[in-house]
Amino acid sequence: MGSWEKSFLQFLDSPVRLGLAVLSAILLLFFIIRLGSIYFFLRLIFLNLTRNLVRTGLTAVASFMLVFVVTLVWTILWFLNLVTSEKSKDFKAIVSERWQIPSQMPFAYQGALSEGAPAMEGDFKVDSSRDAMTWQFYGATIDPTKRTRESILFFFCMEPLKFTKMMDGMDEFTPKQVEQINHWCEEMVKDKRKVILGKDRLQAINKRVGERLKLTSFNYKDIDLEIEIIGEFPESRYNQSGIMNRDYLNDAVDAYNRKKPLKHPLTAKSLNLVWLRLPETPIFQQVEKQISESPSFTAPAVKIETAASGVATFLDAYRDLLWGLRWILAPFILATMALIIAVAISISVRERRKEIAVMKVIGFLPRQILFLVLGEAILVGALSGTASSLGTYFLINDYFGGIKFPIAFFPVFLIPGDALWWGTAIGVGTGLAGSLFPSLGACRIRVSEVFSRIS
Amino acid sequence: MNPDSIVRVKNLTKFFTRGSEKIEVLEHLTLEVNRGEFLALMGPSGSGKTTLLNLIAGLDSPSDGVIEVGDKTISGMSETELAAWRTRHVGFIFQFYHLLHVLTAYENVELPLLLLPLTAKERKKQVLTALDLVGLSDRLHHRPGQLSGGQQQRVGIARAVVSDPDLVVADEPTGDLDSKSAEEILELLVVLKKTLNKTIIMVTHDPRAAARAERILHLEKGKLVHDIPAASYSYEPEPLGGLHG
Amino acid sequence: MDLVTTLAIYFAAVIAGFILLAFLGKVPLKYSLRNLIVRWPISLMTGLAFTLVIGLLMVMLAFVNGMYRLTGSSGYPDNVLVLSDGATDEVFSHLGFRDVSEIEFHPSVQRDEKGKPLASWETYVIVNQPIPSHARKDGRKRRFIQVRGILDPERSGQVHRLKLKSGQWFTTGEGGGGVREVTLHEPGKEPRTIGAGEVVMGLGIARELGPDYRKESLEPGDVFSLGDRYWVVAGLLDSHDSTFNSEIWAKWKTVAERFGKETFSTVVLKTVSPEEAQRAAKDLVQNYKKAAVQAVVETEYYDSLNNTNQQFLIAIGFVAAIVAIGGIFGIMNTMFAAISQRVNDIGVLRILGFAPWQILISFFLEALLLAFIGGVAGCLAGSFADGFTASSIMSSGTGGGKSIMLRLTVDLKMMLGGLLFSLAMGALGGFLPAIAAMRVKPLESLR
Repeated sequence: MGSWEKSFLQFLDSPVRLGLAVLSAILLLFFIIRLGSIYFFLRLIFLNLTRNLVRTGLTAVASFMLVFVVTLVWTILWFLNLVTSEKSKDFKAIVSERWQIPSQMPFAYQGALSEGAPAMEGDFKVDSSRDAMTWQFYGATIDPTKRTRESILFFFCMEPLKFTKMMDGMDEFTPKQVEQINHWCEEMVKDKRKVILGKDRLQAINKRVGERLKLTSFNYKDIDLEIEIIGEFPESRYNQSGIMNRDYLNDAVDAYNRKKPLKHPLTAKSLNLVWLRLPETPIFQQVEKQISESPSFTAPAVKIETAASGVATFLDAYRDLLWGLRWILAPFILATMALIIAVAISISVRERRKEIAVMKVIGFLPRQILFLVLGEAILVGALSGTASSLGTYFLINDYFGGIKFPIAFFPVFLIPGDALWWGTAIGVGTGLAGSLFPSLGACRIRVSEVFSRIS
Repeated sequence: MNPDSIVRVKNLTKFFTRGSEKIEVLEHLTLEVNRGEFLALMGPSGSGKTTLLNLIAGLDSPSDGVIEVGDKTISGMSETELAAWRTRHVGFIFQFYHLLHVLTAYENVELPLLLLPLTAKERKKQVLTALDLVGLSDRLHHRPGQLSGGQQQRVGIARAVVSDPDLVVADEPTGDLDSKSAEEILELLVVLKKTLNKTIIMVTHDPRAAARAERILHLEKGKLVHDIPAASYSYEPEPLGGLHG
Repeated sequence: MDLVTTLAIYFAAVIAGFILLAFLGKVPLKYSLRNLIVRWPISLMTGLAFTLVIGLLMVMLAFVNGMYRLTGSSGYPDNVLVLSDGATDEVFSHLGFRDVSEIEFHPSVQRDEKGKPLASWETYVIVNQPIPSHARKDGRKRRFIQVRGILDPERSGQVHRLKLKSGQWFTTGEGGGGVREVTLHEPGKEPRTIGAGEVVMGLGIARELGPDYRKESLEPGDVFSLGDRYWVVAGLLDSHDSTFNSEIWAKWKTVAERFGKETFSTVVLKTVSPEEAQRAAKDLVQNYKKAAVQAVVETEYYDSLNNTNQQFLIAIGFVAAIVAIGGIFGIMNTMFAAISQRVNDIGVLRILGFAPWQILISFFLEALLLAFIGGVAGCLAGSFADGFTASSIMSSGTGGGKSIMLRLTVDLKMMLGGLLFSLAMGALGGFLPAIAAMRVKPLESLR
């Protein structure tokens, strides 16, 4: 399935959006059937809209701004929905400590876990060179005297070559950028002191590629590393992240343990997560069984969950907030937009009562007048909605580098391609909702009543 | 100069410019109106009678010439001064009544009084007197939409006289009324003149209306062509197209 | 001057200004009001747009307000909170037994009648717990539960000034204590007697766990499972509006063993006064050399968690500003239409002697009136949000964070702020049309 079809189906996933799409399709169909009069109708609609440019303009700008907010909100919801919806094929799973947050496992676990802990003949074995990755977290400050957002760095310590193979969000990079990142990762293998940092983080600590820094760790106390910044992640979800070769950290812990009388407190707790890529759900269940039945993982116990489920757990704290975004903020704004359109259309119908009566005298049918008024609202809504989502897409993605509203471990949200027609759909939907009553009113205008009032 | 005159117009000229074209509406007009006089302004469409009325009432400024009303020269006043002056000295009656539709008869009549330094009690007294005068004491709280055309015009008249102005100007006051209502309104104007000694200047193209006045000024192309007592006014057929003044 | 007073003064000033303008404008307010009524469908829709905008603003602010109230009421100014140096969060803090036992004898720490220091020894862990399938919502299968191992529950209650709402504190004691024999009834299994760990918990988490056992909320005596063992609710904390509302407190030793954290994450010291607390915090940071610790007055600690709130406030401000544009343009349309419909009225008023600025005031006040009515309705609608509970998270922005349960709180300052916001929208949207009304030429309008 192509990505367009996929996003189309995702779009129709919500009953509200499905309803809107069906309604607009019916409307479109009607216009197509009446192709003979379509030009005439469109011209009338256009003339009516240009009659009071101030009003049309105000309505359009208001719609534009409201669609902007809704697009931002829906982007966040869309993305979180995407990362928390379970897939049945080719998905990732996370192995972590069973009970505790943060998950801290002995590094010795990684060998077996990276293969999915096969024990017997016939067990599923993950190809750990391709489909597994380990994460160890190393947090540090570049200024030992303080720890502020202008001085802290947070690293995913992993096998550098796994970055482009296993990490999410590679679609946010161009093929050329991926190639560049791969090149840096190869360098990181050769010289384990080399790291890649996100654009925003680099900016925040006011450092540039090529600089060497001395770090003071706050989670690995007394394991202070020296790094060299080899590359900068382009605009992406990795804006705030850092990537380090895991060997660098592990070697430093070993060195510490050799020198000091007491082992480092995090010695047996340095492995935080193991990621596996699994082909399908039954295999996930198989691996789950293998890991839970293995006698090797008891202190501490471990668990495996799909990435979607893991993310969903982390988002738990935000559930009411997200619920509010979805069911209060966005609907309120949509309703406001429908009302603004309704006000504009009601005014214009009210001003045109006599004219509409004349049209009726000439022979226009009530439903033709209905569609004329609906058409005006829908045209304004659709045009400003489309313009807004297009504008939002380019403004936010290209100029601001995404919506920087950190939720859980997602620092930034990029407007998806789907959003390009959310605006159109919102415009059509709110235009329709807003003009329903005014247009019904318009087609019920009685000729006699209007003329008696005028004279 | 007549010591009894309330309105003195000297050498009044009014022109409008449209593009490069200069349209003379009134040309070197001179006239006087006596205190307590009921004057009708007649003339075909475009003769300048409404413009003259607007100038005397302080709604417009002349291009040249002098207008004196009472002891004031209004032709040199600024717009703000004119507004304040109008409130105290001029009452207006319009062809289409021009009542505010959301306000009751009482409230419409009260409107001009709000601009004067009166207490609520004083206002109430004056409004009730004015509405009593026009015979609408029983319609105080009706809105214009609930009144007939004649009744609405009577509210208009009450509003015009409520602040006790020296001058009442009326632009086609019967133009939108059936003949019976028109007759009543004209009768009321005559009463105003007689009992309250109001000076009334009325623009009309209806000879019957003009006949109720004491004196008729006939304008044509911005010039005064007749100035005669109403009694000696001979009915002339209206020129074609002269439906509105 | 606090925010409520400031807002009240602004509000009073605006109302006074409104009355003054109405007085100077002379055009009766009822004229404006009745026109709004006559064109009720359009007025209603415009007002409703205002109601929606203000209502939305209220709900969003109620959320943040609830968070601020929570952080404001979670700490005490005379308590000092001690973490290990470098810990961004209690989760990452490790204090040794020896350190804590020395710290609690700091001279600033208040003693009880038996001479024991009022210090709360705590180990904080976050437990990842599966949700039974029948209690799952929105597809989430697991939840994080905050568990606090407590050495002496009554003493900790004293330090945090927490009382029990029902039940009793869990028992402590050498060897035994903290465990109660309960009979477990599991579906499809014979009832059996087991030793369950005793806990006290906040009302919020009791309500959160209730549905797992098909109850609205857990009550004292209820048994539940967490992290591979069974626990029994000994008591419920009267923990409204504090972060402890979403915590489970259990015997320290059990927590340390079960969840593998044998160090203390936190020790909270009660001093005699806020000044003493300041002194103690400073002294511990500067002079306690055996282990590097960070000591802060508890209220300051919670203030530092307000970073999330500030982020939310910025987001709310952003959304409100943009949505306000909708309201402003809506009322502009309405007022422009009102004027084009009433040029006749304007002409008459001008001829009767009303000055242009009086016409401006009349239409400006009409817009304000509409905004005010819509705003009042919005405040009322928004106030329905008051009292609802919601989960959220708060953090200092440098890693870590606390899951909390807050109560949406609508208060006077929000109402006043909402009304002022509404009036500001009305003023911005009403001004241009009012200028247009002022410029209507009386003679032309009547032609």
